[in-house]
Amino acid sequence: MGYSYMASDEIEAESAESALEQNVWKADKKAYRGYVPWLVAAVMIGLWWGVTALHLFPPTSLPSPGSVVHDFIVVATVGYSGEPLLTSTLYSLGRIATGFIAAVAVGVPIGFWMASTEWVFLAIDPLLQFLRPIPPLAYIPVMIVWFGIGETSKVVLIFFCTIPIIIISAMSGVKSVQETRVRVAQCLGANKRQLFRYVIFPSALPEIFTGMRVGIGIAWTCLVAAEMIAASKGLGWMIESAGNELQIGVVFVGIVMIGLLGYGMELIIRSVEHRVTPWKGKA
Amino acid sequence: MIALKEVSKFYPPTARGAKPVLAVDHVSAEIEEGEFVCIVGPSGCGKTTVLNMVAGFESVSQGEILVGGKLVSKPGPERAVVFQQPSLLPWMTVFDNIGFGLTLQEGRKTRQRDKVAQMIETMGLGGFEGHFPYQLSGGMQQRAAIARALITEPEILLMDEPFGALDAQTRADMQKFLLAVWERLRPTVLFITHDVEESIVLADRVIVMTPRPGRIAETIDIGLGRPRNWDMILSPEFLRYKKEVLTILRPPRDASQNAG
Repeated sequence: MGYSYMASDEIEAESAESALEQNVWKADKKAYRGYVPWLVAAVMIGLWWGVTALHLFPPTSLPSPGSVVHDFIVVATVGYSGEPLLTSTLYSLGRIATGFIAAVAVGVPIGFWMASTEWVFLAIDPLLQFLRPIPPLAYIPVMIVWFGIGETSKVVLIFFCTIPIIIISAMSGVKSVQETRVRVAQCLGANKRQLFRYVIFPSALPEIFTGMRVGIGIAWTCLVAAEMIAASKGLGWMIESAGNELQIGVVFVGIVMIGLLGYGMELIIRSVEHRVTPWKGKA
Repeated sequence: MIALKEVSKFYPPTARGAKPVLAVDHVSAEIEEGEFVCIVGPSGCGKTTVLNMVAGFESVSQGEILVGGKLVSKPGPERAVVFQQPSLLPWMTVFDNIGFGLTLQEGRKTRQRDKVAQMIETMGLGGFEGHFPYQLSGGMQQRAAIARALITEPEILLMDEPFGALDAQTRADMQKFLLAVWERLRPTVLFITHDVEESIVLADRVIVMTPRPGRIAETIDIGLGRPRNWDMILSPEFLRYKKEVLTILRPPRDASQNAG
C-alpha cells in the first residue's frame, strides 16, 4: 500500500487526545493539601499551650495562648494606650502599602533600564550594593533629619529598604529572557518597543513577582524600625511601646497580627502571580 | 535566492593566548527560489552557525551572504526561522502565538483572525486555539511553531533541526506534514539536520558538511521525484543516496587514519 504524505489526520487526533489526558491528570489534586497547614497551626498552638500549662517559663516571658487571646480582645476593644488595634493595623498597612507600591513603581523601571543600558547599570549598581546591607535602624536618624517625624519619614524608610530587591529582581528578570524567544520576535519583524512588550516584559514577570514576595516580607520587618520614629499608632509602635512596659501579652498580639497580615499579603501576591503568569515553571 | 560567498566564521579565543576558533570555513552555496536544501553534518560542524548567519542572528566574519540580492545584516520577516525547540511564547495562547507575526506587522492584536484560524486548521490544531503552549504535546508545539513561521508567508524558511527533539514516529509524521505544506506554499527552505535519512527524504539537494572547521564536503542532488512516496525509503535509489552521504560523513577506516 503506497500511502502518501498527506494523510496525517489520524496522528493529529491522537496527539490531541494525549494532551487532553495530561490536563485531566494534572487536575487530580492531592487530598492532604487541604489540612496540612491547619494541622501544623494546631500542633504549634498545642505545644505553646502545653509549655505554658506546665509553667516551664514565667508568664512574664511566655504568656499562655489564653492570656494572649484575652489581651487581643482588650486591645481590639478598649485599645492599647488609647489606640484600638484596628486603627494601629490600618496605619501600619497604609505605611507598608504606600512604601511598597512606591518601591515597585520606581524600582521596576530602574531595573529594566539597568538591564538594557550598560552605563545606567554601571552608575546605579555600586549605589545599590552600598545601600543594601545598611540595616533599617541605621536610617532612622537620617530619616528624621531629612523628612521630619510625620508619615513621610516612615514611608520613605520602608521604600528605601524594599527598593533594592525590586530593582535587582526586575534587572535579573530581563537578563533571564531566553535568547531564542528574542530571536523569534526579531525574525518576525519586531521593533524594539514590540520586543519589550511581547517578549522581554512577560519574561521578566515571574522574577519580578518573586522579588515582590521577598520585598513585602522585608517591608514588614522594617515596620518596627519605621514606627520607632515618633509614632503614636501602628503595630510596630505597639510592640515597641508594650515591650518597654513589659506588657508581653500585647507584644505577642502585635507579633501574631504582623505574622498573619504578612501571610495574607503573600497569599494575595501569590494568587495575582498565578493569574498573571500561569505558565511559570511549566515553560 | 540565498547566496553564500566564501563565508567563514571565527569565534573569539576561549582562553588567553589561544587562537580564534574557526567554526565555518569558506562555505559557498546557492539556493534557488522554491528549492528545498538540507545541510547535514555531525554535531559541532557549524551547520547551525551557517543558518544563524543566514537568519541574521550572527555576523559573518569573512565573505558575504546575499538574500534576494541584498546583503544580510540583521534578522528580517522575509526569513522565518523554526528552531529545534518550539520556542512558543508561554504567555500567549496557541492562537496568539500563531498570529504573532501578523500582530507585529499590524502593530496591535491581529485583525486577520480568519487567516490565523485557517492556519490552525491546516496544522491540525483545531480546538486548541485557546490552549497555552505547555498544555500541548511536543509535536503539536512544533507544528504551532511552523504555523507561526508560515503565517506571514515568508519567501524563505530556515529550519534548525526542527524535529530533532521529537520521537521517531512523530518526526516521520512531521516530515510528511512539512513536505505537504511546502508543495503547497513553495517557500525556499534551508533545513539543518544531523539525520541523514531525514535530509534525503526532504531535500532537492543535500549539502554535506565536514566536522570542525565546517566545510562543504559535497553537494548531492536527490533525484527521487515529487511528491515523495513513503515507500521510497526502502528503494535502492534511497539506500544508494544514504550510503553516499554516510561514506562522506564516515570515511573508510584507512582514510580517516591518514587524515588523523
